[in-house]
Amino acid sequence: MEIFEADVLIIGAGGAGLRAAIAAAQADPSLTIALVSKVLPMRSHTVAAEGGSAGVIQAHDSLENHFNDTVHGGDWLCEQDVVEYFVSEATAELIQLEHWGCPWSRKPNGQINVRAFGGMKIERTWFAADRTGFHILHTLFQTSTHYPSIKRFDEHFCLDLIVADGRAQGATVLSPSTGAFTAIFARSVILATGGAGRVFRQNTNGGIVTGDGMALAFRHGVPLRDMEFVQYHPTCMPGSGILFTEACRGEGGYLVNKDGYRYLQDYGLGPVTTEPRNKTMELGPRDRLSQAFWQEERKGRTFVTPQGESAVYLDLRHLGRAKLKERLPLIFGLAEEFMGLDPAETPIPVRPAVHYTMGGILTDINTATPLAGLFAAGECSSVGIHGANRLGSNSLGELTVFGRVAGQEAVKFARGAPAVDPARLADQAKASIAKALSVRDRKGGGERHSVIRKEMASTMEKGCGIYRLGPEMQETCEKLAELKRRAEHITLDDRSDIWNTDWLAALELGYQLDVAEAMAHSALLRKESRGAHQRLDGFEKRDDERFLAHSLARYRPGAAPEISYGPVKITKSQPGERAYGARGEQLEKKDGAHV
Amino acid sequence: MNERRPYRRPMPGNWWAKPPYRAYTARELSGVAVAAYGGVLFAGLLSLSRGPESWAGFVDFLKSPASLLLHVLLLAAVIFHVITWFQTLPKTMPKMIVNGEAVPPKKITRIATIFAGAMSLALVFFVLGAAQ
Amino acid sequence: MSEPVNAESAVLQKTFELRILRYTPGRDEEPAFGSFQVTGAEGMTVLEALQTIKDTLDGTLSYRWSCRMAVCGSCGMMINGTPRLACSTLLRDLPPGPVTVEPLQNFPIERDLVISVDAFVKKIESVYPYLIPKEQKTVAEGPHLQTPAQMAAYESFSDCINCMLCYAACPQFGENPDFIGPGAMAMLQRYNGDSRDGGRQKRLDTIHGEDGVWSCTAVGICSEVCPKQVDPANAVNQNKTNSAFDFFLRFLRTEQPQ
Repeated sequence: MEIFEADVLIIGAGGAGLRAAIAAAQADPSLTIALVSKVLPMRSHTVAAEGGSAGVIQAHDSLENHFNDTVHGGDWLCEQDVVEYFVSEATAELIQLEHWGCPWSRKPNGQINVRAFGGMKIERTWFAADRTGFHILHTLFQTSTHYPSIKRFDEHFCLDLIVADGRAQGATVLSPSTGAFTAIFARSVILATGGAGRVFRQNTNGGIVTGDGMALAFRHGVPLRDMEFVQYHPTCMPGSGILFTEACRGEGGYLVNKDGYRYLQDYGLGPVTTEPRNKTMELGPRDRLSQAFWQEERKGRTFVTPQGESAVYLDLRHLGRAKLKERLPLIFGLAEEFMGLDPAETPIPVRPAVHYTMGGILTDINTATPLAGLFAAGECSSVGIHGANRLGSNSLGELTVFGRVAGQEAVKFARGAPAVDPARLADQAKASIAKALSVRDRKGGGERHSVIRKEMASTMEKGCGIYRLGPEMQETCEKLAELKRRAEHITLDDRSDIWNTDWLAALELGYQLDVAEAMAHSALLRKESRGAHQRLDGFEKRDDERFLAHSLARYRPGAAPEISYGPVKITKSQPGERAYGARGEQLEKKDGAHV
Repeated sequence: MNERRPYRRPMPGNWWAKPPYRAYTARELSGVAVAAYGGVLFAGLLSLSRGPESWAGFVDFLKSPASLLLHVLLLAAVIFHVITWFQTLPKTMPKMIVNGEAVPPKKITRIATIFAGAMSLALVFFVLGAAQ
Repeated sequence: MSEPVNAESAVLQKTFELRILRYTPGRDEEPAFGSFQVTGAEGMTVLEALQTIKDTLDGTLSYRWSCRMAVCGSCGMMINGTPRLACSTLLRDLPPGPVTVEPLQNFPIERDLVISVDAFVKKIESVYPYLIPKEQKTVAEGPHLQTPAQMAAYESFSDCINCMLCYAACPQFGENPDFIGPGAMAMLQRYNGDSRDGGRQKRLDTIHGEDGVWSCTAVGICSEVCPKQVDPANAVNQNKTNSAFDFFLRFLRTEQPQ
């Protein structure tokens, strides 16, 4: 085992981790920052974000508007002080990215262009064609190479955190390319490991999105908040789940059922307009659109694709080839390469797939978790801006705003924290290594991890899908407990040291099962419908009396997680009716909430 | 514990003769034809400087079937070289931006090839005209 | 709540044969091909076939992958001898018969389809891959102006996903592993062509000589195999001109290169 002593350790080098690293390096160049990523940083899943990042920039827009859209969109389960901070900082971060070279799409006069996005009252989504996440990630990665105090551990897999004296003091990592283990000691630790969408069958996520950081924090006693809120993105490729950005609709695309009917008008999102209209029809929020798909499917108005999946059409034909190629080049290529169709000539079959985990590691507004010295930012965290449903283009902003905060706060903490005692911590690292090796070297004729992974993904989809039922969620909880037992006996084909991806996948499965359990149990106990958590078993309404509260899942070794509830911070927006389309406009006029 | 031991596959010495690189190899080889043409011209110049007899011998050589065959082959190779040279041209120059958009490489190749073709023809007609 | 059961049987199934170059350090002296029969959806990708093998037939098969949508740049490999992304290569689009899958050409093989990436990462780090602002500006002063025409000058180079297919296609990189190569040159030109950048000279100083642009003989296949139409050959070759000018003009320069 090798030892590396850092001041700040960052686990995860996607958008949030890289932003944190740069902020930390700028805050104090004398500190050593270890940046661990299980892939090369530019492979991180931020790369797949397409549509854009929200930040108020137009004169007729206001922070108030962005705040209200976000809080309404989150069905009032947002931390309102955090949202207020977020919207006030988002634009500055987008400008910072511009200064670092991010190729934002421009107007003919050279100014930043913005596009419409679902659930947003005014166009405020900055975009770089339909490769926004890609450009943000590459800009941040490339910029990070400018800072010599950032010591990268590319392609290093995190086995466990090191926690002593009630504070996080490092992590144990494995390099698959050399087979070597390293104990990285640090005075503060940031988790920026992304989401966990791969616990579901059909999802938009990359293979690496396995909830590692969530599980690591969870196992060390940090609660996972609001885990029942899992976002289904309404427009994904049937079969693979590959994403077709919301910008397709922001630019004016239609969703039609098998009869060519714009069905969203039947679900409180009308009136129908030819031109895109904010917060109406296709520009409604993701939860509502995914739910409308499910209803259409029940009515028999969807069709079955060659992949055996039901689907509706995303019709972009009327936008014309030139606009599609300029604004949505990635989407154009995906349709051509993967589906063999020309979106300027043929509507694209799409269906919902799991996209985003609104919940995550509990943090306060400063990204600090309840475990001293441990911070979290990005999708793995629950800082509180998304509530029960995230608005499209609020997550890239979250990466930069709270990535920066995490970097600065971790530096502050590291400066005040006592130095670590390597000798004492080394034993902990050795124990983590022994545990990981026992997974690899286990003998006997156990199952393959792939069998368990598939069953987990199916049961999650069944019990925790777009609509949920008590007995089915119960069944999912039981199934997960069974899978966790079986997972203790899996055996690997591969016991070698170099690039043993069989082993890494087995370790990831362990993380996934813990996170899945937190989701299923949180869902089972939330007896209401709110945002992305919709029930059809007598709890179809939102229940502010009992459930205007964050769920908190706590890890219990060998048992189901314990679920409790915490208060929601409400500052200026009292819970009201969440409506879109004509009804939304009517409400707005009435109470003047949206000025 | 087994250790990292990256395996470096040898680069085949005849990579240039393999399919994806054949077009490139042909383009580079056709450059030899351009040099050969230069050699023919130089030989002509040399014979001119050596007096009328030498020049007449050179002209006789030009009229021989072997020379005609050589010229047909060289012409074909040079035309091939010219076409592929213009296909490479867009890769060697800074991006051309017209109306806020980069001009596609194929368009640059097409315009340059047509222009070169037109100039060559004009030169041929000019020389033929001057000769009469 | 459950979705309707999918009629899996309705999906057209097909069996494909994959010949995969395998290598485990410490066990194998040199790589050798292994053959697998994979049954799956008729429209499956090479990546999905590899996943099926790993999940059901042989868990020891190693390869990199993540996004499945041709943007993360992880899954470059030689498919029937051509560098391609496994995730966006559909088996039905390949000629009938066994499909050959090998690690990317010209790179050392770490294990099976996994190649060494460290040298490539060092190369992109060496070209000052970040904006060196022409004029310092604070966030409060707002964004720079950049017209679509100014963007077009570098846009294609900024689309590079670092998948390294261009290196696998480049025979000169095969001959000289220290050649900076097409991908890193695309990154260099991405910044040198940016109207906001002022670091052109600093970057030009890194690309002279055989390990710089001058190993390139304009084969041009790098641009042909690029999955994102970055045209790295253009980045390399226009910088030969820049390098040559810079070489002769350096005698006229007053300040010394750093």
